[in-house]
Amino acid sequence: MPVPLRVPTPRLSDVNATQTTSPRPAITDAAARTVDACKVYGAGDTLVNALDHVTVEFERGKFTAIMGPSGSGKSTLMHCVAGLDTLTSGQIFIGDVDLSSLNERQLTRLRRDTIGFVFQSFNLVPTLTAAENITLPMDLAGTAPDSAWVDTIVSTVNLGDRLKHRPSELSGGQQQRVAVARALASKPSIVFADEPTGNLDSRSGGEILKFMRTAVDEFAQSIVMVTHDPVAASYADRVVFLADGRVVDEILDPTAEAVLERQLRFGV
Amino acid sequence: MLKVTLRGLLAHKVRLIATGVAVILGVAFMAGTQVLTSSISSSFDKIFSDVYSSIDVVVRSSNEVETPFGSQRDRISDSAVPAVQAVSGVDAAEGEVFGQIRVLGRDNKPLVAAQGPPNFLLNWLTSPSLNGWNLTDGAAPNGPDEVVLDAKSARDGEFAVGDTISILAAQGVQQFRIVGVAKFGKLDTWGGAQAALFDTKTAQQLVGQPGTFDWISVSGDPGVSQTALTERVAAVIPPGTEAITGAEFTAENQDAFQKIIGIFNTFLLVFALIALFVGSFIIYNTFSIIVAQRTKELALLRALGASRRQVLTSVLLEAFAVGFVASIVGVGFGVLLAMGLNALMQSFGFSGPDTPIIIPASAVISSVLVGTMITLASAILPARRAASIAPIAAMRDVAVESTKTSKRRIVIGALLLVGGAIGLWFGLYGNSDSALQLVGFGAFLVFMGFTVIGPVIAAPMARVLGWPMARFGGVSSRIARENAMRNPKRTATTASALMIGVGLVGFISVTAQSLKVSLVEAINTSVTAQYVVTTDSFGATALPLSLAGQITALPEVKVAAAVGAGFANIDGKAKVVLGTDPAALQQVVTITDVSGSFADLSDSGVAIPKTLAADKHLSVGDTLAVSFLQGGPSELTIESVYDTRFPIQGPGYFINAQLFAQVTPPDQQTAQSIYVGLNDSSDAGIAEARGPLDQLIATVPGAKLQSVKEFTKAQTDQANQFLVIVYVLLALALIIAIIGVINTLLLSVYERTRELGLLRAVGMSRRQVRSSIRAESVIISLIGTIIGLGIGLVFGWALVQALYDEGITSFAVPWAQLVTIVIIAALAGVGAALYPARRAARLDVLRAISSE
Repeated sequence: MPVPLRVPTPRLSDVNATQTTSPRPAITDAAARTVDACKVYGAGDTLVNALDHVTVEFERGKFTAIMGPSGSGKSTLMHCVAGLDTLTSGQIFIGDVDLSSLNERQLTRLRRDTIGFVFQSFNLVPTLTAAENITLPMDLAGTAPDSAWVDTIVSTVNLGDRLKHRPSELSGGQQQRVAVARALASKPSIVFADEPTGNLDSRSGGEILKFMRTAVDEFAQSIVMVTHDPVAASYADRVVFLADGRVVDEILDPTAEAVLERQLRFGV
Repeated sequence: MLKVTLRGLLAHKVRLIATGVAVILGVAFMAGTQVLTSSISSSFDKIFSDVYSSIDVVVRSSNEVETPFGSQRDRISDSAVPAVQAVSGVDAAEGEVFGQIRVLGRDNKPLVAAQGPPNFLLNWLTSPSLNGWNLTDGAAPNGPDEVVLDAKSARDGEFAVGDTISILAAQGVQQFRIVGVAKFGKLDTWGGAQAALFDTKTAQQLVGQPGTFDWISVSGDPGVSQTALTERVAAVIPPGTEAITGAEFTAENQDAFQKIIGIFNTFLLVFALIALFVGSFIIYNTFSIIVAQRTKELALLRALGASRRQVLTSVLLEAFAVGFVASIVGVGFGVLLAMGLNALMQSFGFSGPDTPIIIPASAVISSVLVGTMITLASAILPARRAASIAPIAAMRDVAVESTKTSKRRIVIGALLLVGGAIGLWFGLYGNSDSALQLVGFGAFLVFMGFTVIGPVIAAPMARVLGWPMARFGGVSSRIARENAMRNPKRTATTASALMIGVGLVGFISVTAQSLKVSLVEAINTSVTAQYVVTTDSFGATALPLSLAGQITALPEVKVAAAVGAGFANIDGKAKVVLGTDPAALQQVVTITDVSGSFADLSDSGVAIPKTLAADKHLSVGDTLAVSFLQGGPSELTIESVYDTRFPIQGPGYFINAQLFAQVTPPDQQTAQSIYVGLNDSSDAGIAEARGPLDQLIATVPGAKLQSVKEFTKAQTDQANQFLVIVYVLLALALIIAIIGVINTLLLSVYERTRELGLLRAVGMSRRQVRSSIRAESVIISLIGTIIGLGIGLVFGWALVQALYDEGITSFAVPWAQLVTIVIIAALAGVGAALYPARRAARLDVLRAISSE
């Protein structure tokens, strides 16, 4: 198990939550983890082991990147951990909640209240304004957003003057910034980002990655990001490499060069 | 390119289902109507040609009055018969008596309902070549108390030779002895009709005109042609009569029946076309959406070298295939529908026992043609849009239907609305002969106008209608409202389909309510009688005018007045003429004299209503040229211009009872209602009079005594019954419109797969997804309903204004009904969303977000 390099700062949401919930016994310090996760597609000759006994932890307050060649299982891993897909066997925990014990409705609630998402594209509901998109998960839950917190995020991602605009009136980079803001707005315990910069030019992509880095550094947000791009991975605290459904390597405090070198070694 | 089209068809088969269903329903209605009516009319054609097959020449009166039910002729004297019999080449010539009766069952009630098959009185012909009836039992009628019954009536009423039977004829109820039972050829009777056959003298007595015949039938010797014989007969017959060939006579009878069936056919076809018109919106929408969703694919084809024409043809070919196949299936369902209805009608005894279903080629061809053409026409705009997709669109990211609301749209819509309003105006207020077509065309233009403007008003309407939901319903309702607004064209087209159906329902309910209120008001303000005697019979077997005299003779009764109706040509046009005792009528119905004196109408005078006098610039002292069925004066002097709110059919030419008796055949001297004024009009007096009145009326089968209140209710009930039929016929258009809502929602859900996946991923629950789709559906439904009701109200108001002179004097809005319609529409919206919402909620989140 990798050693945390930084002392985790307390999460804002935890600070807020202490008054209402009794402290839970912390089993581990992971924001999410898998235990012996297996995902099998097909059967017989066409059987594919998308995840082959994967056991991995994503630390609280850390920025973890998942890398691997196409078909390595990185997207499957993220989808399963995020509660969008189910395992064939094994366990997944978000905090200390075992996802396999949840039904559809509870999974939906978990996604809404404890998880944030940033997809590669089509992140926003086209009929809602940027502001409405940001508060969407809270609106769905019927809870009032913490407006001070939302303001903080909005100013962090530098969107103040675009809030009333619809997604079609925003550039690709701005849309992704709104998506990041939405992912952070509900103070989730973990944010999953699936190639968030895949569709952006390098300057816009760099901004997005800086915001995510800021969220980890200043707000102690836990982020898991799937990416192909060594430069994007270099913003993470740790890079986990997957190949053929298995964790094959990892780098702490990566640089783009180190990641590229590792990628070449695994034949991407 | 054909391969691409076929692949496209296969790929979109699910999306084309709604289009197919819309076409199938409309075409089935259309084909079913035609198959049913032509089956009925061909079976009646056969009856007429069977009945008159032995007749070579017919001699009849040349004095003819056109009526809405075919032309009426005077009876002719029997003195012409011997001369015709003497013509060389004539095998037999006999006068025929044709009248109306009702056969009473053992319970003294009419054996069949008044709305059932007709009941004929005939004379038994003695020449075997002319008499198509053959006795299966007993003997021919011979004597004033003898009757031969058709085999069906004998079976239905369980009558046998030797039984006594009561028969209601124009002269009241009489008892007869059944001396025989007869079949017509091999059939029990003619097409379900009841027939009672008497000897000639008795038959003449029963119609009230001894010594006369309706016509003389002539059969010729073998080898003599009908035309030759007709010429010879024509030479010997008295003036005022004419001779025509048997073939012409048969054709005339067939044509008269065809005309009635034709009205029925047209009436139903109008509703079938409305259904197809509504369906065309669904077709248009489906193809628009499919084209929009296929933008990339079509652009790719263009980039690969397909011409615009090829793309256009490809889409149209797809539409043609769908329209053609659906039309064929529709015809199949139509035939089944016709068979079902035919069986149903036969079980009510409406048509003959054996109306074989015939499927005329014209019905199949016209239905398939109309179904296919409507599909093609509805797909033309989407196809042109497809053809105009630039190849570069293949490289663009997201394809969105253009949603800009152009000025041109507003201008065209406004022009259509103005055109529609002009059409309606001239149809309603002009004196055009094709008023109905003008009104229909005007209404069509108005609907089209709103359809064109629809996209402009759909978004603001969705905003307003969705406001309460968005305000109180949370984010899923807000998303629903935005979704209803995001594609105003689609929302508007979907809503338009509903708008038409609801518009017509609203129009009819407003008109009907105005009519009912006007009717009730008219009766309340004009009828001063305490009782009204009514009947379910028509014509000869309705209430005899003489019954009014019998009622007046009762000690409780002060006065009773009946209004008889006949036909006459006035100033060269066929008009209804009303016969009454004017002084008596004025005591039970408020009729005020504008000039002249209504009560003192003489035998050579006529009273006309104020409105007619004003229209035609007529006043007391002017004369009108008339011709009656039975001769009488050729000129009437206007002796009274009157005013009344009493609901009178037609323009209301009144003549006095004596003149009416002179110019109308005795079996037409009947009334549908008799108004009774009592000496003691207090509640006690009214209650007291009921007994004696009931006793007297019991002698007239079919007659019913109603207080004025009951009478009013019966009249409005009648209007309600007709309304129900119209609503049922419009229901198909509404069902198709709802299918359209389902279709649009399904296609939208399909199109928004990614978006729904995203919403689900960030935590929208299935229940929230469902409620969002439901809310969107309700908003769309309400938009269509509210515009539709608005149009309906305006149409209804316009019609009521135009019909002021016809007695619809009040404009009344059935608010409760309209609110019910809105509620039903909202519920229908919820219902329409059931399946699409389930589909949306069931989306696999992972697949949705990863689908391109």
